[in-house]
Amino acid sequence: MSAIHLNSLVKRFGDFTALKTMDLEIANGEFMALLGPSGCGKSTTMNMIAGMEEPTSGRILFDGRDMAGVPMGRRGVGFVFQNYAIFTHMTVRENLSYGPRMHGAPKAEIDKRVTAIAGLLQLDGLLDRKADRLSVNILQRVAIGRSAIMEPAIFLLDEPLSNVDAAFRAVMRSELKHLQRQFRQTMVYVTHDQLEAMTMADRIAVMDHGVLQQVGSPLEVYNNPANVFVARFIGSPGMNILKGRPAESDGGLVIDLGPLGVTPALPAELAAALRRHDGDVLYGFRPEQASLVREGRGLSMAVTFVERIGARTILHLGEGEGAVKVVTDNDARVTVGETLIVIPDMGSVRIFDAATGRAIGGR
Amino acid sequence: MADIVFRNVTKRYGNIVAVESASFSVDDNEFFCFFGPPLSGKSTILRLILGLETCDSGEILIGGRPVNTLSPAERNVAMVFQNLALFPHMSARDNVRFPLVERKVPAAEIEKRVAEVSAKLHIGHILHKPPAQLSGGERQRVAIARALVRDPAAYLMDDPISALDARLREETRVELKRIQRELGKTLVYVTHDQEEAMSVADRMAILEKGQIRQIGTPEDIYDAPASVYVAKLLGSPVMNILASTRDGGVTAAAEGAIRIAGSVPAGEAAENGVRPEDIKVHPWTEESEGRPAKVFEVEPLGGHTVVTLDAGQSRFRALLRGQPDIRTEALVAVSCEPARVHYFSAAGRALARGAAPA
Repeated sequence: MSAIHLNSLVKRFGDFTALKTMDLEIANGEFMALLGPSGCGKSTTMNMIAGMEEPTSGRILFDGRDMAGVPMGRRGVGFVFQNYAIFTHMTVRENLSYGPRMHGAPKAEIDKRVTAIAGLLQLDGLLDRKADRLSVNILQRVAIGRSAIMEPAIFLLDEPLSNVDAAFRAVMRSELKHLQRQFRQTMVYVTHDQLEAMTMADRIAVMDHGVLQQVGSPLEVYNNPANVFVARFIGSPGMNILKGRPAESDGGLVIDLGPLGVTPALPAELAAALRRHDGDVLYGFRPEQASLVREGRGLSMAVTFVERIGARTILHLGEGEGAVKVVTDNDARVTVGETLIVIPDMGSVRIFDAATGRAIGGR
Repeated sequence: MADIVFRNVTKRYGNIVAVESASFSVDDNEFFCFFGPPLSGKSTILRLILGLETCDSGEILIGGRPVNTLSPAERNVAMVFQNLALFPHMSARDNVRFPLVERKVPAAEIEKRVAEVSAKLHIGHILHKPPAQLSGGERQRVAIARALVRDPAAYLMDDPISALDARLREETRVELKRIQRELGKTLVYVTHDQEEAMSVADRMAILEKGQIRQIGTPEDIYDAPASVYVAKLLGSPVMNILASTRDGGVTAAAEGAIRIAGSVPAGEAAENGVRPEDIKVHPWTEESEGRPAKVFEVEPLGGHTVVTLDAGQSRFRALLRGQPDIRTEALVAVSCEPARVHYFSAAGRALARGAAPA
C-alpha cells in the first residue's frame, strides 16, 4: 500500500509533449483510472509511475519518497499489460509461483500463496494445466494472478481487458473491483473505455492531449463534467451538446438554440450563474436523462436512426450540429422519420462556455 | 438481384469442420450479420462467398446463379478490407480507381465509374486528398467506394471496425448502417461485438463451432433466444442463466432468491433465463418473500447501474435505471415479471415461455 503523488509531471519526446504539467494525488488503497483517447498521455503517465520512462521534469513520490532514479524493480509495483506476458510452456501453477520462486520464498509459503490467489481468481481447477492450452480469458486471469501474488504496494494495469471477449469482460470488471477492495492495494488502471473506468474506479482522471481534464468519482464526472470534452467522453453515448445563447422568457432563462427553437426554462441556480456570463453557450444533456413525447414544449426533432441494442434503444434525432441521441428502454416503438419532442430532465441540464468549453455554474 | 443462398454447405480443413451443413439466404439489399465467438466459422463463410475457399459439399448461389465452380473474379462480390485500410501514398481518387486500373478497364470507363460511386457515397469533394487528410468517416466511405467501384452484386466486411476505440466504434457503426441504407446493396458483415451486430444488422445468424444456431432480426433473437448458448451471447450484461427449482408450487431461480409467481413452463425447465434489465431490486424487509440476495458489487454507468448479486452459489446481474443508492454487502429482495422469464431444457433448448396467469 502506497500513496502516489505526481507533482508538475511533464514528459516530452523531442518536440512532442506527451504530458503537460500533471498534478495528481492517488490515495493509499485507491482505485484510480487514467482515462482518455489514444495519445492522451495516460500510458506515458503510467510508464513513468512504473519507472519505465523518466519524467522530463516534475516529481513522482511514493508515500513521500521521491522515485527519481529508482529502477523499476525497486519500486514495488506490479504490472499487467494488455498483451499478458505468460510463459506458455509452463503450467498455471508455475506461472503463478514464478515471482515468489525468483525471490527465493520457501516452498510452503509459495504453495500457500498460489492456493490463495488461485482461489480468488477462480483458477483452482486449472493449476496443473499448461498455459498454451488455455483461452485468452483464462490467460488474462493468470497474468493478473502472477502480478498480484507478489503483493505489490502499487498495482498498475494497462488496458488489461481489451483482448478478452465482451461477456467475460463484464465478469472480470466486477471481480477485479472486488479483488482490489479486498487487497486494498493502490491500483492505477489505464483505459480508453469509459465503461471500464466508470464501473471499477474509485476516482477517474480524464485526460486529453496530454492535459488532465478532470479528476473525480465516476458519478461526479458523469453528473458534473468540468468541460465539454469530459461531458462527451463519459457516458455511452456521450452528452448531447447544442450551440445556443441565453434568452429571457416568461418562464425564466432559456437557451435559444436557433433553428431548433428554445429550450425549457433552466433551473434557478443555473440561470443565476448564467446571467453573470457573457456570450454564446453550449447546452448539454445526457441521452438517458430526457423524455420523449409526441406533444408538448421541448425540442422538436425528427428521428433519423434507431439502434435497438438489447436492453437499450438509442434514438438518433436531428441532423448535423443539431443532432442528439436519446436512450430509452427496448420497448420504445419509434420509427425513422417520425417527429418527437425531446424534453431534457431539468436537473440534468449542463451549460458550457462556447469559447472555452468550461462548465458554467458547476457545483 | 443479389441474394446469397447457402444450401447445406460444409467446409473442412483436414479433420476440422469449419462450417457444417450451413443453410441460409441473405436477401437482396439486406444488411446481414454473422456473429459468434472466434473460430465459430464466420470468416470461413465470408471466404466461401468470395470464392477464396471452395466448399466440400452443398451449393452456393449468388443472384440465383450457382457459383461453386466460379473464381472469385467471376462471382462479382467485393471485400472491404479489415480496418478499412487505404493506400497511404495514393489520393482518395487513386485508391478508388485502383481495382479498375488493375483490371485494365479503359480510362474513360474508369472515370465514369469513379464519378458514379463517388456521387453515391458523397465523396466527390475529397477525392484529391490523401488518406491522412481525411476524417475517419471519410476514410471509411473511400474504402467502401474502392470496393464498390467494380459494381459488385454484394459486398462483404470482416470485422471492419474492431481496431477502433470504443467511442469511435459507436459512431462508425451507425455511419456504416447509413451508408448501406443509402446504397441499397447487399452487405454481408462479420463482427464479434454483440452490440455492433444488433445495431447494424437487418437480420443476423448466430454461429457456434461452424453451425448456425439461430437466424432472425436482432430483436427476435434477443427477445426469444433459441438456446442458452444464444441467450448468453447477446446483451450487456448477458442473460442470467440460473438453475430452476420448484418451491411450494412456485418456480424459483437463484436458489429461491427470484420467485416466479404464476408462471407455467411448458415441459421440464432445468434452467431459467432472466435478462439483467428485467430484474427488480428492492430493500430486504421482514415482509419480503423467498430469500434475500447479497450485493457483491455495484457498477455505476451513469444512466444505468449494474448490480452483481449473490444468492447461495448463484451469482447474477441486474441492470437498473439511473443511479440508485445500493451498497455492497446489502441484502436485497429480487423480483421479476413472470412474462419476462425464459425457460430452457437440460439440453439448453428454449421451451415455450411461461404463460402469464389468466
